[in-house]
Amino acid sequence: MKTYIAQRLGIAVLTLVGMSIVIFVLLRLAPGDIVDILFAAAAYVDPAARTEIMRELGLDKPIWAQYLDWMRQIFSGDLGKSYRYDLPAWDIIRPLIPVTVELAVLATILSVLLGVPTGVISAVKQDTTLDYALRVVSLAGLSMPSFWLGMVIILGLVAWLGWIPPMTYVGPGEDFKLHAIQFLLPALAVGYRSSALLMRITRSAVLEVMREDYIRTAWAKGQSGRVVIWRHALKNAILPVVTVIGIEFAFLIGGLVVTETVFNLPGVARFLVEAILWRDYPVVQNLVMFIAVVVILSNLVVDLLYGVLDPRVRYGD
Amino acid sequence: MASWILGCAMATRPIGAEIALGEPVAAAGPRGLGSTLARFARKKPLGAAGGVLMLLIVLTAIFAEVMATHDPIATDAFHTLARPNGEHWLGSDHLGRDIYSRIVHGARVSLIVGLASTLLGSVLGGIIGLLSGYVGGKTDLISQRLLDILQGLPLLVLALILTASLGPSVENVIIAISIPIIPRAARVIRSSVLSIREMQYVEAARAIGIPHLRIAFRHILPNTMGPFIVLCTAQLGSAILVEAALSFLGLGVPEPYPSWGRMLSVSAAEYAQKAPHLVLFPGFAISLAVFGSNLLGDALRDTLDPRLRGA
Amino acid sequence: MSRCRFYTIVAALGLIGLIGVTPSPAVGQAPKSGGALNVMLREDLPQGFAIHETSTISVVWPSMPCFNNLVLFDPLKPTESLDTIVGELAEKWSWQDNYRNLVFFLRKDVKWHDGKPFTSRDVKFTFDMLREAPDAPAKLRINPRKDWYANVEGIEAPDPHTVIFRLKRPQPSLLALLASGYTPVYAAHVPPAQYRTTCVGTGPFKVKEWRKGEFVEYVKNPDYFVKGRPYLDGLRYVVIKERGTRTAALQAGQLDVAFPGETTKTAGEQLKKAVPQLVVTTVGTNVNDNIIMNIKKPPFDNPKVRLAVSYAIDRRALVQAVHQGGGAVGASLAPRPYGVWGLLEKDLLALPGYGKAEDMKARARKLLAEAGITAQNPLRVEMVTRAIAIYVDMASFVINELKQVGIEAALKQIETAQWHAMATRGDYQIGANLTGLGVDDPDGNFYENYACGSPRNYSQYCSEEVMKMVDQQSQELDPKKRLALVHAIQKKLEQDAARPMLDWRMDYFTVWPHVKNLVPHHNIYNFGRMQEVWSDK
Repeated sequence: MKTYIAQRLGIAVLTLVGMSIVIFVLLRLAPGDIVDILFAAAAYVDPAARTEIMRELGLDKPIWAQYLDWMRQIFSGDLGKSYRYDLPAWDIIRPLIPVTVELAVLATILSVLLGVPTGVISAVKQDTTLDYALRVVSLAGLSMPSFWLGMVIILGLVAWLGWIPPMTYVGPGEDFKLHAIQFLLPALAVGYRSSALLMRITRSAVLEVMREDYIRTAWAKGQSGRVVIWRHALKNAILPVVTVIGIEFAFLIGGLVVTETVFNLPGVARFLVEAILWRDYPVVQNLVMFIAVVVILSNLVVDLLYGVLDPRVRYGD
Repeated sequence: MASWILGCAMATRPIGAEIALGEPVAAAGPRGLGSTLARFARKKPLGAAGGVLMLLIVLTAIFAEVMATHDPIATDAFHTLARPNGEHWLGSDHLGRDIYSRIVHGARVSLIVGLASTLLGSVLGGIIGLLSGYVGGKTDLISQRLLDILQGLPLLVLALILTASLGPSVENVIIAISIPIIPRAARVIRSSVLSIREMQYVEAARAIGIPHLRIAFRHILPNTMGPFIVLCTAQLGSAILVEAALSFLGLGVPEPYPSWGRMLSVSAAEYAQKAPHLVLFPGFAISLAVFGSNLLGDALRDTLDPRLRGA
Repeated sequence: MSRCRFYTIVAALGLIGLIGVTPSPAVGQAPKSGGALNVMLREDLPQGFAIHETSTISVVWPSMPCFNNLVLFDPLKPTESLDTIVGELAEKWSWQDNYRNLVFFLRKDVKWHDGKPFTSRDVKFTFDMLREAPDAPAKLRINPRKDWYANVEGIEAPDPHTVIFRLKRPQPSLLALLASGYTPVYAAHVPPAQYRTTCVGTGPFKVKEWRKGEFVEYVKNPDYFVKGRPYLDGLRYVVIKERGTRTAALQAGQLDVAFPGETTKTAGEQLKKAVPQLVVTTVGTNVNDNIIMNIKKPPFDNPKVRLAVSYAIDRRALVQAVHQGGGAVGASLAPRPYGVWGLLEKDLLALPGYGKAEDMKARARKLLAEAGITAQNPLRVEMVTRAIAIYVDMASFVINELKQVGIEAALKQIETAQWHAMATRGDYQIGANLTGLGVDDPDGNFYENYACGSPRNYSQYCSEEVMKMVDQQSQELDPKKRLALVHAIQKKLEQDAARPMLDWRMDYFTVWPHVKNLVPHHNIYNFGRMQEVWSDK
């Protein structure tokens, strides 16, 4: 087991290094850089001033030199200074992370609460009208653009109630009720989509398991249906479900980008878009690497969980 | 074509010994397209519905000029934000452009971008997966790591960075959406190839001395068609959604092509109080397209490879 | 009638007369102190509070409460002119030596937000830096309005409360340039780069917190030099990037004040319909749509072709189609009543593009035919514009108009990051552009946009004759003569079709009714001080 973890971590590090190079190069491929944007904010271009600012920000060095600078910075714990805000990137990013994490966790919880039970019901009542209805509803969730759902929610609220959730961040300490409302709605918008996926996975996993011999044996032995399902089927269907939860958590970022924008939540995802548009290399690079680390770690955790949950799977033997 | 696909897909069931060497995978016999489809519709009504929906959308895209009532980019200052009426079936936007015509033409854009990026990404990824899975060894290891790198990033984030890098144009959006699909396609095809590779008839072919490339492309590839098609339909839905999100964020398909996603950005929400149809109809259009592709994809997957259910 | 009674009646009448005559505050109510307002921001501040290093409303609007100018356009008068200028840091000022020296007598009771006293040293510091004097103690990283001070020869601060601007030649407009929201006074003891992160000013509000990407929070400056001001306890500028969301926020009351220049006619009508008590004011913005053509490259080096383009575009149809009527036609300076230098209606009608559409297009076709361009042999060009909806909508309309006279233009969208560089380089043929002017003043406009070699003269237009007229009007002290000259220049510019003006954008500035005394000007850049604003909640 230990060697397996070590192996995976080693590969993860290699992957991360590769990703850092890809991100670094891709960003610099983008036409226009921070200096152009600063001039755009001034509606004015001055070549002499341009050279000055490039030198000040270290953008006049060759690309490989800039990359090495960045790597050196990371290993010394310095995440660089935001070109736009002239402040350490970490100081700007730090307060945003809890917001995104909270939203992601809430969305995942909601999606599990919505998706798993409906998946089980759908599997048990396979091919009935209820099954079809649930499948259609969940498929609708997978098909709707999550930003559209968010927009419709906000516009509906303002049209019918003349009210929208708060547009500036309300911390849980300040006003818990308002904070809850502020986060529940976007979590629902994002979670609906994930719940659809979970529902389908749960359904097919439960169906698979129900076909297995030992289930039929249990039925034949006379155990009540519900016990069979909850004790045997669900326990073994957990595996693919957990896998998907793990994978979805990482993919949530995509949905969070647009949802944070629509609901005006000060999260990391929304900030990433801003930083990309601003060619704020230090911020984008570090944020993307951070996301990559989260994704890779969560994949690793899921794989290990797999090993724990399924006695048939063992690593390192 | 369809029957060939369905036919060779059915052949992915583990019956390898029945497949004669040197012959391409047999079609599903002389049953004919019509009855194959009829059987499919009967067994999978939802899937058939999805198929019909997709067909309608494809037809709309192809015959957009005929189906549209107005020029999608012509403005009309005297009929802005009109409710759906006889003149503008789905109303008009803040510049007086007919929403129905824009949605009809938008189908073309969304489908082209969705299909092109899905196919591009899936084909490229498929080739990588095929070669990587078949050749194995070091090539496999290295390409897996490279794919890990691409896959480590969420779809939208990578597409965002790519469109920012490449600039706003239809071609660039297609490239930007296709690149994140490559690793996912490669994974699916690779695992399919891995399982087929071990089959006896492949070993036998090697034993006889048939060159690798021929084996790869004539024997293995056709048997991955099933998972490939399933993958395509699954990715088509998310490609359309990603294109919509990119357009919404301002980084997608630029003017003058009407794009469903862009119809939702900027002005739509602003005028939604007076003209909610500005927000509702393009969103419905996107949802319907993805819904249809998902329904069809599900049914195809159930038909082609029950083992893949739940992927 | 007894004398006593007579005098009583007279006194009573006099008292009534006095009450009737005494000017009452704006709406007939006495301003209340207290309360805070939430103000809309459409994006986060691009460079913090560094007004001198930027040229965007996104910095000026949220930063103005922190600063003071020497002089400012009267907050309560919508139309700005030399006659509406009031003093801020300058108590009195006077032109001397035939408008060659401008002397300011500064207030004595002003403190910076960090407690240090304000003196003439701060003024000299700021303006020496702005004009890039050889012995300037500090330098701006980007200095977009350096040309505003090209005529300043030297600045003297003979004592802590007097500043003298010595000019090379008379320039009455200098006062107008100094009265813009773009011309605050920086502190001499603060490095200019620091304004990108925090704000040390003398203004009515102090920055409490700038939460990046979210909001800027201000609190009342208790030591403000105008006693009794500001009325408000605080201000919060809230960043909402998503258009639909911010309109919803305004409608739901989470925002009290809209962002200047952001509310179109349709949006204003919609807001008013949903919430009838909202106050929607129609104002000019001093922002215009125009066409830039690179006159150094074919085909627009041919003046006939340029003129044809101007003839082809029906200005009034554009206002209707692109702005739903929310725009005003005018030449290179804002038309009346939004500006004071605009051409009169009868002069406008004689200009290309303002008459009857069919006649104008016919003339355009004739001009193009002389250049060899016909329907059988159309001119194919690439039109550039910024990749933002307001630009693209305008460009699409223009392309449609040009198509009707034989010019086939393909639209190319340029990302913000590359737009100004591309335009300055002249790397384009024809473009649809938007220009915001900080002051409704000929000097501020002509030198920046039409002077030979000016970086923002994207067309690279250079006419000695026009520059002579511009220099002449800049020094002209007789207002009537000056106005005539400015009119002549505007007509000539439109005839040369260097940068055909399409229209001047209007704003439907929306506030909730409890917001009092926030009078929008016909210029989005100059009314953000918030000193006189009070809340009736």
